[in-house]
Amino acid sequence: MKRLPALAAALAVVTHGHAAADPLRLRADALATTASPAGLLVLDASGAAQPGLSAEAVVWVAGNTAADRMTGDDARGDVLVIAVDAHTADGAAAARIGRFVSTLGALRPEHIDGAAVRFRLPYQVDVEAVGGVPVLPGLMTSRTWDWLAGGRIARRFSDWGSAGIAYEQVRTDGRLVTEEVAADVGATLGRHDDVGARAAYDLANPGLAEVSLTASHRTEHLRTELYASELSASHLLPATSLFSVIGDVPSERAGAVLTWAAAPRLDLTADAGARRVDADVAPELTARAKLKLDDRGASALSAELRRSGVGSEAWTGARGAARIAFGHALWASTELELVRPDDPRGRGALWPWVLAALGWDRGDWQAAAAVEASASPEYRSRVDALFQLSRRWGTP
Amino acid sequence: MTVRHLVTGAALCGLVACAGVLGLTRSGPSAFPHRSHVVAGVSCTRCHAGVDSGSPELHLPDDASCTAGCHAGPHDTRPCLTCHVAPGAIAALTEARDHIKFDHRRHAGSTRGNCMRCHNGVADGDDHLRPAMATCFACHAGDARRDARRCDACHKDLADEGTLPQTHLAHDGDWLREHGTRAASSGDVCQSCHQPSYCAECHGKTVPVLPATRRFADPFAASVHRAGFEARHSLEAKSSPGSCTTCHSPDRCVACHTARGVAGPSTGSPHPPGWVGLTAGSNLHGREARRDPVACAGCHGGAGETLCVQCHAVGGVGGNPHPPGWSSRQPMSAMPCRMCHPVGSR
Repeated sequence: MKRLPALAAALAVVTHGHAAADPLRLRADALATTASPAGLLVLDASGAAQPGLSAEAVVWVAGNTAADRMTGDDARGDVLVIAVDAHTADGAAAARIGRFVSTLGALRPEHIDGAAVRFRLPYQVDVEAVGGVPVLPGLMTSRTWDWLAGGRIARRFSDWGSAGIAYEQVRTDGRLVTEEVAADVGATLGRHDDVGARAAYDLANPGLAEVSLTASHRTEHLRTELYASELSASHLLPATSLFSVIGDVPSERAGAVLTWAAAPRLDLTADAGARRVDADVAPELTARAKLKLDDRGASALSAELRRSGVGSEAWTGARGAARIAFGHALWASTELELVRPDDPRGRGALWPWVLAALGWDRGDWQAAAAVEASASPEYRSRVDALFQLSRRWGTP
Repeated sequence: MTVRHLVTGAALCGLVACAGVLGLTRSGPSAFPHRSHVVAGVSCTRCHAGVDSGSPELHLPDDASCTAGCHAGPHDTRPCLTCHVAPGAIAALTEARDHIKFDHRRHAGSTRGNCMRCHNGVADGDDHLRPAMATCFACHAGDARRDARRCDACHKDLADEGTLPQTHLAHDGDWLREHGTRAASSGDVCQSCHQPSYCAECHGKTVPVLPATRRFADPFAASVHRAGFEARHSLEAKSSPGSCTTCHSPDRCVACHTARGVAGPSTGSPHPPGWVGLTAGSNLHGREARRDPVACAGCHGGAGETLCVQCHAVGGVGGNPHPPGWSSRQPMSAMPCRMCHPVGSR
């Protein structure tokens, strides 16, 4: 509880800065579950003090998490985001300072306390730079000499594409844990085709860390996407880890997704692909249907069949979901999932999961309650109840 | 009436019902017949009087303008727009008026009064009363504000706008898998709608609870951890080694497992027989460690690495753990090299 004043102060910084905000928003979500965490309060405030200057803060406090029961702490909280954004009137320069998720092109997102700037230079060249301290959970977590710095330079091509190169270095206790260079490209080719690609290369232990490609073709009722990705786990570990030196065994995935608007209210999706890990190759298959029961889509049904996993970790699953609206404010929803692992290993042959919820939305006020029941490798049977109450304030 | 007639009738009823459910036929109000009015020579401003004045009203025709000289004898006592407009069309127009900075008056000259220049979809029904953004940029292609991702040049309060992009940033397909690749080259476009917390809800290190749990009442909310993910998370993690690490730190596994009592000093070894041995057939851990080093680091990271060093240090019985051609830019005196390579060794 001693951290609550710090959280309140963090929120006050944002809300005070927006006394004349236009618009100013504050949202409070209270979530209670009979499982861990037993109680959670999330406060989200955002606003624009003046044109070109805005801020957002999301802070939370929770009580009785499993980790807290282990440590004896009865409540804890943290800051998810507290960031101030500013940009010039013509958008040529922009800056962000505070706690936020930094995204530099094809590099993995990093949650940092720091600052980021972006400049739009002539000839459609963009330059970005980020610097800060990687976030660690816990407001009072002590830090040593940890820092992150990176940058990206990109060139936009008129209205149809862009390409960029990014570099990032992360140090913990002053020791190099990540040094990566990455490239990204995205393009819209005509009215129907899009392509995107990204690749990250580990410079600390030279090797390809991550590659991802996607290309899509879209017509009025049909969208086809081809995708491929490669991920090398050893390069995702900190370079200071002993497990980063045992070589590259990438996991690879490739396939195609077909999305068909078969009728005004019916969408069908098929995803057929393959996954490879070391010498094991296995199919990745998904078939999904979603039927809207009204033109707004307030009521809908969906069904999904899935085959996933490699080797002894393969599984087959089915999922169904329904949402039925009673007027504009009230709705009921349910989800059911059944998973059958190929190799149960004594953990149960079938893992069912079901949730039934009732929700109410009256604009500024929202409330929901649900019962969740499941059987899993961890629990032979488990029932949990969830409650949520949200309130939104705003001055548009 | 024969059985054949009955079956045919039932099948027809079924087809009609199916067509209704699938949205092939509309049971509610129909779209306004713009096409027939244009063909009849009715000008747009005759019904939408004042639309070119720049005032903020929607300028929809009222009953008086419909009945004045045209539909003199209305067939129903209710207002005309109760039935003669598609559901949601007026709400969409209101949404556009509230969230788009647009002045019809300023466009009347450049379009020479031809409303169809922008509203080119009205003949197809009421679903396209609001022009697509691509239509705007047919004329405003070189707009510097657009080039600078200044969405607020035209959009008011994007975060609150209820209309999702359809023409320039459609989040269709398997967007959850695809978004990282798309955002890599267009991160600034994402930021034009999404606030910092949107990314942090999933990628943040201080997330209080899974996003799927916060949206438990919406079964169609996209999330990696939706539905029974908790039960199958070990299968997902082992089938795609490293994917969890894109958001979670490696010690996340052991922290959670220890807190839940499924791992820790009292639970014993989770490894099968033959995990560690002196022959290839009884030495499974090497292959598994190469496949999924993150899983090993989850438990054996930090001080636990000394367990490996006991055998794999230079000269140890475990031999060289590096694959052929492996190299590092780390100096031998840095971690983790120095754990196995004492000063002076190679």
